[in-house]
Amino acid sequence: MTTYTVYKEQLPGLFEKWSKLYALHVPARLREGFYDLVPWKKDLEIAWDYDVAYNSAKRFVMPPHEALITYDRRTCEAKPVFDAPKQILFGVHPYDVKALNQLDQIMEAGSPDQNYIRRREATVVMVFEPLTVSSSAFWASVGASSVAHGFDLYWTKIGPAAFTVEVGSVRGEELLGMNGPLLASTAGDKEGARRAKARVLAKARKNALRYNWEETPRLLAKCWDSPLWRRYSQMCLACGSCNLVCPTCYCFDIREESDDQLETGVRSREWDGCMLEGFAKVAGNHNFRPKAQDRYRHRYFRKGKYIYDKIGELGCVGCGRCVRACTAGIANPLKVFNELWEETAHEY
Amino acid sequence: MAKPKIAFFDFAGCEGDQLQIANLEERLLDILGHVEVVSFREVVTGHSDDYDVAFVEGSITRPEDEIRLKEIRKNAKVLVALGACAAIGGINCLKNFMAENVYREEVYGGSARWFPTYAARPLKSVVKVDAEVPGCPIDPVEFARITKELLQGRAPWIPDFPVCVECKQAGNVCRYEMGKMCLGIITRAGCKAACVTEGAHCWGCRGLVPGANLDAARIVMDRAGSDRKATQDLLRFFLGDTGAAL
Amino acid sequence: MNTKLFSPYVPRPVTLVEKTPLSDFVTRFTFEQDNGKPLAHKPGQFVNLSIYGIGEAPFSISSPPRRTNITFEIAVRKIGAVTSALHALEPGAKVGIRGPYGSSFPVMKFVGKDILIVAGGLGYIPLRSLLFYQLRHRDEFGRMILMVGTRDPKERIFVDEIADLAKSGDVEVLETVDMPDSTWKGNVGVITTLLPKAELDPGNTFVAMVGPPIMYRFVIAECRKKGIASEQIFVSLERKMKCGLGKCGHCQINELNTCIDGPVFCYTDIEAYQEAI
Repeated sequence: MTTYTVYKEQLPGLFEKWSKLYALHVPARLREGFYDLVPWKKDLEIAWDYDVAYNSAKRFVMPPHEALITYDRRTCEAKPVFDAPKQILFGVHPYDVKALNQLDQIMEAGSPDQNYIRRREATVVMVFEPLTVSSSAFWASVGASSVAHGFDLYWTKIGPAAFTVEVGSVRGEELLGMNGPLLASTAGDKEGARRAKARVLAKARKNALRYNWEETPRLLAKCWDSPLWRRYSQMCLACGSCNLVCPTCYCFDIREESDDQLETGVRSREWDGCMLEGFAKVAGNHNFRPKAQDRYRHRYFRKGKYIYDKIGELGCVGCGRCVRACTAGIANPLKVFNELWEETAHEY
Repeated sequence: MAKPKIAFFDFAGCEGDQLQIANLEERLLDILGHVEVVSFREVVTGHSDDYDVAFVEGSITRPEDEIRLKEIRKNAKVLVALGACAAIGGINCLKNFMAENVYREEVYGGSARWFPTYAARPLKSVVKVDAEVPGCPIDPVEFARITKELLQGRAPWIPDFPVCVECKQAGNVCRYEMGKMCLGIITRAGCKAACVTEGAHCWGCRGLVPGANLDAARIVMDRAGSDRKATQDLLRFFLGDTGAAL
Repeated sequence: MNTKLFSPYVPRPVTLVEKTPLSDFVTRFTFEQDNGKPLAHKPGQFVNLSIYGIGEAPFSISSPPRRTNITFEIAVRKIGAVTSALHALEPGAKVGIRGPYGSSFPVMKFVGKDILIVAGGLGYIPLRSLLFYQLRHRDEFGRMILMVGTRDPKERIFVDEIADLAKSGDVEVLETVDMPDSTWKGNVGVITTLLPKAELDPGNTFVAMVGPPIMYRFVIAECRKKGIASEQIFVSLERKMKCGLGKCGHCQINELNTCIDGPVFCYTDIEAYQEAI
């Protein structure tokens, strides 16, 4: 794959151009210790050293509220609604791209979800090799420290003023070349990128699973009746925060509202979460997962086994967002999986 | 089909919820186009006891309120509690934590003995409530949606999950991560996490979410550094009618 | 069709042509497809039905597959927003549907075999699509035994139809109620009490069962007692099928999506799933 070297001084010009064609989002500091992708504007300071974006990239391809159809109550006809703004996500970390790639697989399987696919296609993803690691992150130990596809450009900061940019798509290369010819990276530049990756990996490995992540489904298969589920879930507020901040959680509810004339209306999907009490409740109020313990276990089985059994990857990319979002302090996949490992260690 | 007749009533409260409805302006005209308003002090004059849907604001604080509310219940096919005072007792319940002579003295001064009152309570403590529009004040957009759902013949939907969901949808930084207190963890959503989005925290005005894990919430608040008194004060603000503050 | 405008979330219109009360709570609705085509479903599948402004909900198809007829039936208990709105509709009204969705009873496997159909409560509704499909090809199957259990006599549905089936001799019918009243002269007890009453050829009998969540475990245990193997037992499970496409996550049973992997499952395939039964 082609790799170019780009200098910091070239960026304002590129951003200027891109922002005319796309909604451009870049990492910035919200307040001390909090970062997020925000709309780019001139002179905005880019947080190159951000540890984790407060919100995952899923909101750009699967927004919290999204119209699916419009209906007409008088004729009983419905039409699809597609909204796919052209956008560039600059500076997404690899684990978040891994999560996007996972969403792609799920949304494309079976009956393809056209709303998702259109948004994803309209989204340019520019990865950025992290420089720092959030204290709750453990992506290096769940196979999420790098991605081989699913991005348009892969940026690595190799010095105070220089980046290598690996091309992932024709679209990416065209965007990068908008301000004139590009410099191919030298062997030294590429070595710089390799070292940058090694540096951040060394940091990221501090928080790690105590076993090879590929063992997780086998581990969970033995742990359905573990006392851990009850122990932790006693504190569960059923607030769904762990679901909603998760970059790979995609569950949604469908609701609708008619216009004020009661003639037409919009049916939309909204983010939902399996930790919410009513998630598996059917009409007539029978709840198929009535206890916090059932829901809590379901979530970890989804992350560690069900998704794996479908696509061969963990449903957790180790971003650590749920760890931070859980006010009760019980959502921590690393801790849960490691403790289950301890519990069952004598069985190996 | 004849237009359903609707009427608005108020008990102990500030009428702020009816004002919120009036604030819908043009939208209100569209929505009210489907109904016949027989009583709505904030918007029209006159009154009638012939109505299908009663929107009732305010909490019940006196024995004679009960008689009037039961009368409304008898006349209405559908009774909707409008706002925190009606739905959950709201801030009127603050007085329930004071000695009776103290608050009566405070409110009525020397003539307190002429005004019998008792512990403030929500409508549902007195009559069957068919639907509620929660919040202090109510969200006019939610009122509009709920009214439309009633008009289309369905039981109105209100969220059965806590405010955290809407905070996450909004992308807000969690108050607890900023070392602050927030009742969003146990409060029914539907406000689009308005207070947090505006930089404050949740006060619980929409009432407890069904199945709220109060024990866990208390531990979370303790860990966040709030002492018992501060936690209690916060929980009493809107949730005085529930056991949450105890 | 403009394929660019295709979305799996868009329902198509169907027209209500007939509405028949079956009990105080349950009504049968017959719809006609506005596109003029048969629904082309298989026994056991469901549709997602929309009443715009109210919402969308899944319903088992109660009629057998029809090759030329463009109508199909569902039978519905008035229990939530969509079902209440549905009951308020009159013939001529239009609703939206998506589907048919989901797995079906493997009728080809049942050819030449005996079939035991166990219907608890409203479970008769989806099983009807299987039952009447088999009756249409009656000579291709062995014995057909229908067991129907209802909570109390007032809640019995398709009463005349089931009586006619018994009279026809095509189907052996066994019925019970849990809580009898003065009018009830038949068996009393939960549906499991019917199983010991039937003489079955366990090696040659397939079972199809639908009922309330609590029923499966006990009926399956009775079947196993009779010597019927797991591979011969088929169940249809209810979950919250919201999107019907295996995306929204609500209907999961462990890792299975009830809306695409189910609702009909062979018991062997779900035996190991703790959340299934």
